[in-house]
Amino acid sequence: MSWKPEAEELELRRRYADGLGGPEAVATHHSKGRLTVRERIAGLCDPASFQEVGKLTGKGAYVDGKLAGVVPAPYVMGLARIDGRPVAIGGEDFTVRGGTSWGSDRRKGGQGGFVEDLAHEYRIPLVNLIDGAGGSVTSAARRGHTVFPGVHGFERSVQLMGEVPVVCAVMGTAAGGPAGRAILAHWSVMVKDTSQVFAAGPPVVERSLGQKLTKEELGGAHVAVDMAGTIDNAARDEADCFAMIRRYLSYMPANVWELPPVAATDDPPDRREEALLDIVPRERRQPYNMRKLVGMVVDRDSTFEIQPTFGRAIITMLARMNGKVVGVIANNPMVNGGAMDVKAARKQTHFLQLCDTFHIPIIFLVDVPGFMVGLQAEQAATLREGMKSVYAALQATVPMLTVVIRKCYGMAGMGTTDKNGLDFKIAWPSAEWGSLPVEGGVAAAYRREIESAPDPQKRLQELEAELRAYASPLLTAEAFAVEDVIDPRETRAYLCRFIDAMQGRLATTVGVKLRAGVPP
Amino acid sequence: MARKEVKSEITGSVWKIVKQPGDGVGEEDALMILESMKMEIPVLAEANGTLVELTVKEGEPVTEGQLLAVLDV
Repeated sequence: MSWKPEAEELELRRRYADGLGGPEAVATHHSKGRLTVRERIAGLCDPASFQEVGKLTGKGAYVDGKLAGVVPAPYVMGLARIDGRPVAIGGEDFTVRGGTSWGSDRRKGGQGGFVEDLAHEYRIPLVNLIDGAGGSVTSAARRGHTVFPGVHGFERSVQLMGEVPVVCAVMGTAAGGPAGRAILAHWSVMVKDTSQVFAAGPPVVERSLGQKLTKEELGGAHVAVDMAGTIDNAARDEADCFAMIRRYLSYMPANVWELPPVAATDDPPDRREEALLDIVPRERRQPYNMRKLVGMVVDRDSTFEIQPTFGRAIITMLARMNGKVVGVIANNPMVNGGAMDVKAARKQTHFLQLCDTFHIPIIFLVDVPGFMVGLQAEQAATLREGMKSVYAALQATVPMLTVVIRKCYGMAGMGTTDKNGLDFKIAWPSAEWGSLPVEGGVAAAYRREIESAPDPQKRLQELEAELRAYASPLLTAEAFAVEDVIDPRETRAYLCRFIDAMQGRLATTVGVKLRAGVPP
Repeated sequence: MARKEVKSEITGSVWKIVKQPGDGVGEEDALMILESMKMEIPVLAEANGTLVELTVKEGEPVTEGQLLAVLDV
């Protein structure tokens, strides 16, 4: 007697699971331009690398004691590989009851559950493919009682943020728990037009506030990514989303006890870009293209920009220098003249902590006139959010290298330096710094002298010219108050030397980063 | 031909108008220059076309998201 009948029943049960919510539900899902959760896992991971766990979960239907069908649990998860490296991956199956939660002895995933325990125990990255609307009032009728908010598992989601890379991709409409889960990520992405994310959807909003909005108006990428920064990046379609997830993970170590992988590169570390010599206009009021500047310094085609459309006064990119992963934080003179506003501050804080957590050294390319000023900026608490980013920088222990391209002023400027480490600052000849720029600063500091002068405007200009004479970075370099001034064309070679040299030290300081204290 | 609205990406003021209604514009041509945080920030055409309308004047303050000009592209 063999176990063949049972093996055949297993096969049958697995086929039911592969059928998801049935052909009709799958066709409806496809008609909205969305892939099923199984197609998503196949599209994202290495071919045939998915080892599903819990494929038998669901609700069986029996006729005379014989299995007649199974409605699978609305969550698919397991172990897979991305670029040859193991990941824990899971996602809601929207074709079964809209991916809402389902009663089981142990959760599969979504918020905590087996897949998150797997990431925690094996110290491998977690990828959440989110496509669910969270709780439903119908569960109260099913259970006979209402449930207290929250499930066991969210505490695991929080714990993972200090241990392994967590990627959340919003693939459909996410509200409630799944929307909250999407935020608990080191990096998050959503798909333009076919995904939305909000605390609550249009029916709840209309009932609560009388606002009539479509799902897209309320939580499409334009709101969630561009305006709010709730989600980091927007993908063109699901295929683009998978490509972005693979790209992001290529910069990440498997966990905080390891260093990020080093990539082979044929880009010479001592490459000199002639164009760097005149990228910064001599006219101080004219901006320049900082993204182009970054591209000339880092390894060719090695950048991946995080939050490109939010907080645009700051540019945050993962990149490589001589194959080693670095985080680039660069001010964007095209937006607010590079001044740090509340959104830019929030973006910088998150990116800095991401790099610190995963031992990714930071390169600051500095052109910051200070915090954003004005009534709107004060009302938005720019000072507080700005100081939070300074706090994050002064608390971080990952090595940082500072290159001052043009302006480096005030507290925002201080927040670009490695105060806990080597405090290594190099500058281009176009650099200038101080507690505040000469314009404006002179009028405040010499007010009485200017007002009592026969020609106040002339005296103001004289004083500005006198003070500007002290502004050459070479004078600061004489005093070794800046460690070096370099030819812009030397930037890549100079930085690569130090990024290479710090690799040994990085290996000695891996592990969980504990951050004591209360950020402002 | 399609109408394309050009909106301000920043808060500041209009420092200089470069193109006038009726002028042909090329992609990346500056339509006007805004001043923000003591910097001159060019507003660039996203595509080749014709400037149809200017909705701001030199010296006028602008806020983020405000309509600046309309192009026919």
